Amino acid sequence: MTEADRRSRLLYWAGVALGPIAWGVNLQGVYVLAHFSCEKTRMSGAIVSAVLAIVSLAGTLISARAVRRGAEAEWADAQGGGPRTFMAWLGVGSGVLFALVIANQLAASLMISPCLR
Amino acid sequence: MSMAAEPNELRDDVLNGLRLSRQLEKVWRTPSGLVGALMSVDHKVVGRRYILTAFAFLLLGGILAILMRVQLAGPEKTFLSADKYNQIFTMHGSTMMFLFAVPVMEAFAVYLVPLMVGTRNIAFPRLNAFSYWMFLFGGCFLWISFALNVGPDVGWFAYVPLSSLQYTPTKRPDVWAQMITFTEVAALAVSVEIVVTVFKLRAPGMTLDRIPLFVWAMLVTSFLVMFAMPSVMVASTSLILDRLVNTRFYDSSSGGHPLLWQHLFWFFGHPEVYIIFIPGTGMVSAILATFARRPVIGYPVVILSLIATGFLSFGLWVHHMFVTGLPQLGAGLFTASSMLIAVPSGLQIFCWLATLWDGRPVYRTPLLFVIGFIVIFVLGGLSGVMVASVPIDTQVHDTYFVVAHFHYVLIGGAVFPLVGAVYYWFPKIAGRMLSERLGRWNFWLAFIGFNVAFFPMHILGLIGMPRRVYTYTADMDWAHLNLLSSGGALIFALSFALLLVNVIYSLRKGELAGDNPWNASTLEWATSSPPPPQNFDRIPVVKHRDPLWADNESLPVVAGLSAERREVLLTSLAEAEPQIREASPEPSIWPLLAAIATTVFFIGSIFTPWAVLWGTPPMAVTLIGWFWPAGSKEDEE
Repeated sequence: MTEADRRSRLLYWAGVALGPIAWGVNLQGVYVLAHFSCEKTRMSGAIVSAVLAIVSLAGTLISARAVRRGAEAEWADAQGGGPRTFMAWLGVGSGVLFALVIANQLAASLMISPCLR
Repeated sequence: MSMAAEPNELRDDVLNGLRLSRQLEKVWRTPSGLVGALMSVDHKVVGRRYILTAFAFLLLGGILAILMRVQLAGPEKTFLSADKYNQIFTMHGSTMMFLFAVPVMEAFAVYLVPLMVGTRNIAFPRLNAFSYWMFLFGGCFLWISFALNVGPDVGWFAYVPLSSLQYTPTKRPDVWAQMITFTEVAALAVSVEIVVTVFKLRAPGMTLDRIPLFVWAMLVTSFLVMFAMPSVMVASTSLILDRLVNTRFYDSSSGGHPLLWQHLFWFFGHPEVYIIFIPGTGMVSAILATFARRPVIGYPVVILSLIATGFLSFGLWVHHMFVTGLPQLGAGLFTASSMLIAVPSGLQIFCWLATLWDGRPVYRTPLLFVIGFIVIFVLGGLSGVMVASVPIDTQVHDTYFVVAHFHYVLIGGAVFPLVGAVYYWFPKIAGRMLSERLGRWNFWLAFIGFNVAFFPMHILGLIGMPRRVYTYTADMDWAHLNLLSSGGALIFALSFALLLVNVIYSLRKGELAGDNPWNASTLEWATSSPPPPQNFDRIPVVKHRDPLWADNESLPVVAGLSAERREVLLTSLAEAEPQIREASPEPSIWPLLAAIATTVFFIGSIFTPWAVLWGTPPMAVTLIGWFWPAGSKEDEE
């Protein structure tokens, strides 16, 4: 397998992984930052969530690129047999899904004072 | 395709036709006689038992529902006492949720998933047998307790402090809590088996994007079970500990908190709804593709919707707790996430409608039930969006509106697809077709009966009738709607009686089904009906998402597995490339003995903490027996 192949193979999966990782980091991060947010700046949790929502959406973009580069024709005849492209499709969706979930948590950090937690 | 053979071992590449079938049947068949039957580890035998047992519990739970409807048909009826009514609504909910809805879905998966992925047995077949015995013993424990007037009476959710020792000093809540432990052990075991079967036992070539949608649905469900059910097991175990040894997890005077119970229970309880619903969607996808005579539109969209639904289902549990006094802002956020889950469910429904629109539908009984599902589930979804909103939920909480809503979701979302699945897969399981004429009567009685039974409950709830009341006075003005609802319930019950008649009649006199009576596309239809003990004489090779539509005449196969001992083929996770041959366990009595020992331990431990001490050695002995090397080739490797 060439270096380019290996890199492109990684990209197929990156989209699937980035969303859940971003959400996991966000979930833990806002708890870790709660004390700091209350003492110093209440925006820290919101900033972390916003950045991680963007990371999750970046996963969508990476996957979308992988889909475009991959065998789109595989889908046209519904044969299957392209699991990497399939995972890239799932990456497109999961990036959006996890960005929405992070946005829900972002809304919480904007509305609830960190000192009330 | 052929695999390298070891010298001196009879393999399926040197036998052909009838000789191969007979040899494999000899190796894979369940031993004859009662002891042989008790030792069976064949996924089809265990799956059939699971399905029959779950439907027996449906029958019992249904009888309880009719008793409740008779009691509520008019004001101030004395058909049931208040105490009996409390036991009956608790037993009805517990039976339907824990002994019917979840197990029956897993039962279908136990039977069908290995066939659909093209393997010879489920992963961990002895665990599978153990799981069935645990489910059976747990269910019998609950129902025997009920017969002895020790049936739980604290609701299927057993809220504390009502279920605490102080307010219910009888053994009734202990029976409920321990039944949970039984059934959850069983469900967790099946989930592990399904995940491993789907990940490692798929036929060569069945890449991730060629897995049938029903199998995807069961995979997602299995993960849901593995993440959700430990929560309720922690809850039920801590409740027993509170009651038995005063641990005080839920005693606010000692630092515990009753709300902890609700959080733990609903962290399980809401995903539970999807644990029941997602397999139903898998059944719908399978039936729809066959009867619309085209693949489901949006395969990746449907899968992503399944995964999204599964994931989001863990973020909604607080909408069951809107009236517990939680901060309103938090409740508002759970409203948002509750509404978010309507998106993936809606996407799936659009994919199904598009499939019907673009296909050439044949309106046989299974498809009728799928259409019934779409209508009823959408109605249930609409009332679901209503109760996801805090102000509406606060108004209708604990009223019959909620009863109507969740019956629309659960019966519409799971039971209609399930009955459709019975009509669809019965020919494969029994080798005979169910009567189409009785099937159509069955559908229309079910559809009309269901709506007449449950739609009036929306109105009853809106005009103030609370849940879980055993009677009401005449001046409440609820009598007419209740009578209508009871009449509908009887019609709905009649539809199930008709299903039973159809099954019994067709088992004897039904038309012979043949291998693939519906001209379906998935691998379970590539073998005989009913399938032989080995499922397939040779493992199929998959080259298309709909293998039987792509290559109906000559399905390619892989050869080289042992024909003198039980062996399955392990494949890679994403590409399903052949990796190694793996021995599959022989029949064994130890799973049954282990389940008996565990049952003694579980039941003993609600009476005395010492059961933990004397109950453990028998379990250890049975597990040692289970795993003891028996000198088979499997152990040598």
